Amino acid sequence: MVDVQDISVVEEAGPPTTALPPGEWIRKNLFSSTLNTVLTVVFGAIIVWAVVSAIRFVLGVDATIIVTNLKLYMTGRWPVEQLNRLWIGAYIAVAGIGLFARALVLNAKAQAEEAGLAHAEPSLRETLRRFWPLIALIVFTLSFTRTLTPTLLTIGAAMVGLVAYRAGDLLPTWVLHRSWLIPLVGTLLFYFGITTFDGVGWDDWGGFYLNIVLTIAGITLAFPLGLLLALGRRSSLPAVKWLSITYIEILRGVPMISLLLMGAFALGFLIPGDTQFSLFLRLLIAITLFQSAYIAEVVRGGLQSVPQGQVEAAQALGLAPWKTMRLIVLPQALRNVIPAMVGQFIALFKDTTLVAIVGLLDLLRAAAVSTAQPEFQAQGLEAVTLPFAAVFFWVGSYVMSRESRRLERKLGVGVR
Amino acid sequence: MTEAQVFADATQVQGDAIIEVNDMDKFFGDFQALKSINLRVGYGEVVVVIGPSGSGKSTLIRCINRLEEHEKGSIVVDGVPLTEDVKNIQEIRRETGMVFQSFNLFPHLTVLENITLAPRQVRNTPKKQAEETAMELLTRVKIPEQAHKYPGQLSGGQQQRVAIARSLAMSPKVMLFDEPTSALDPEMIKEVLDVMIELAQSGMTMIVVTHEMGFAREVADRVVFMADGEIVEVGTPQHFFESPREERTKLFLSQIL
Repeated sequence: MVDVQDISVVEEAGPPTTALPPGEWIRKNLFSSTLNTVLTVVFGAIIVWAVVSAIRFVLGVDATIIVTNLKLYMTGRWPVEQLNRLWIGAYIAVAGIGLFARALVLNAKAQAEEAGLAHAEPSLRETLRRFWPLIALIVFTLSFTRTLTPTLLTIGAAMVGLVAYRAGDLLPTWVLHRSWLIPLVGTLLFYFGITTFDGVGWDDWGGFYLNIVLTIAGITLAFPLGLLLALGRRSSLPAVKWLSITYIEILRGVPMISLLLMGAFALGFLIPGDTQFSLFLRLLIAITLFQSAYIAEVVRGGLQSVPQGQVEAAQALGLAPWKTMRLIVLPQALRNVIPAMVGQFIALFKDTTLVAIVGLLDLLRAAAVSTAQPEFQAQGLEAVTLPFAAVFFWVGSYVMSRESRRLERKLGVGVR
Repeated sequence: MTEAQVFADATQVQGDAIIEVNDMDKFFGDFQALKSINLRVGYGEVVVVIGPSGSGKSTLIRCINRLEEHEKGSIVVDGVPLTEDVKNIQEIRRETGMVFQSFNLFPHLTVLENITLAPRQVRNTPKKQAEETAMELLTRVKIPEQAHKYPGQLSGGQQQRVAIARSLAMSPKVMLFDEPTSALDPEMIKEVLDVMIELAQSGMTMIVVTHEMGFAREVADRVVFMADGEIVEVGTPQHFFESPREERTKLFLSQIL
């Protein structure tokens, strides 16, 4: 029996309480308009700086070791007189990102307009909210600098990015249709800016810069290779199929460290002639080979998740097999494995720290070895430098994971 | 040859046939799904295939566009023999539209993109022209306003109508329907059948596997009854529903009517 009194209690309860979940609360109170967002970010930056200083003060953490070694952490053995090249590289990168972002937005807009749909242009506020962890990380880093120059240069870079984004409106149509040209040209310019005319060669690259370069290059190379391997594994040609399976199973079955050691010490013997690849390149090859095997398995999972009916429908329409794969199966397969794929990219990012064991000076190793310097040794300063390094990897991983969730939501439009 | 098939052959269309299936066998492993199938379909004819589930109806039409491979016998579609030759297979698929029970629309493409994909990719039709044709077809199936939505945003009936439009966009000479209304809610069946009736009246050659007896009665030129992988009986709807001659047909009709 239902108690009548109970019902009346329920009725009197009224609408649900209006306590917002944290995400909603932040959106409503801190990012409600562009001005509010800018204020939030500016004050957020000041707060981060203040909090970091306060923690340092309260905990009595002596950050001298970080202040002294910041250049080592960020760039390793990069020659000091060549640091201006890195700033030029950063400016090129920021300008390229600005242009590319604008090109993507313009393309999305054109597509929406053609379809007669509404298109909301991303606002500054949205972008700041999206990338706040990165902004906080930059402020965090700058709070350890000794002079004002890096801060001014960073602000300059932000300006360049904004100007480039605006300048994206001037891009001719043929560039917009081939927007991949922008990152390609940007990367080449960046590379030549850093290395040409007695610049800084690969083996002098180090610090967090090295982790970033290895991550971006590793993903760019390992993803297409993994894709090919996954397709090869499903190939109807026995030779291709068994080669792919052998490759994947062997490379997945060995520790990445052993591949890095092979890359460092054995790869040279396998390459005929006097060709000598730099250590950086050999390690990049090792990372690529290893990660591509994992990516191949992630892609395979995606391929298997696409119902057979999709292939049949494409076949029935007369689509050739490779067009069926490219236009019907792969887009759905990759969409289905975004979380696993980004997980793999995050693993790759963190695995770049393993290059330390064959002598490259990445952020993690720099953080470790700096505590052996005469003025800092035997004071337990690992407790300061290692968490400092961890922050960078955490922010990088967190941003990737946020972006992956965003991409999932965006591509989820047609979910059945 | 069994008596039934002699009878079936007698009721086949004479003269030119767009689809000729001769003495075709199909196996799934050791299981024989189709036994010595003979079927001729004339230009502009509407053939409805009925029969209990597992009787091989779907397998039969899936063999016609090579979604399944037959082991014995021959299939000729519009003068093109269906062989191992990939060129022939592609040619037949281009001329043969198929509508599936589960729609099989491409969920990552909009309705318009679903329809224009094959004309653009297979026939190299310019985008503008393909889109104009697509809009005409969407108007024909009465959902032009859904052009920019994704399949997941449509009802089952709307999705199946898009699937029909997608097939028609290739201007096929034959349309194969594999239980097109079986996955639909009852209130949506009519909107799909209406489109199919209109299509039949326009002179399209159609082979329809269905459980919709009303459709078979009204629209079919001939009804094919299958059981256990065989064609048991072929006849006009009138003959078929009012004076079936085979015991298995009578039993089937008594169960469903």
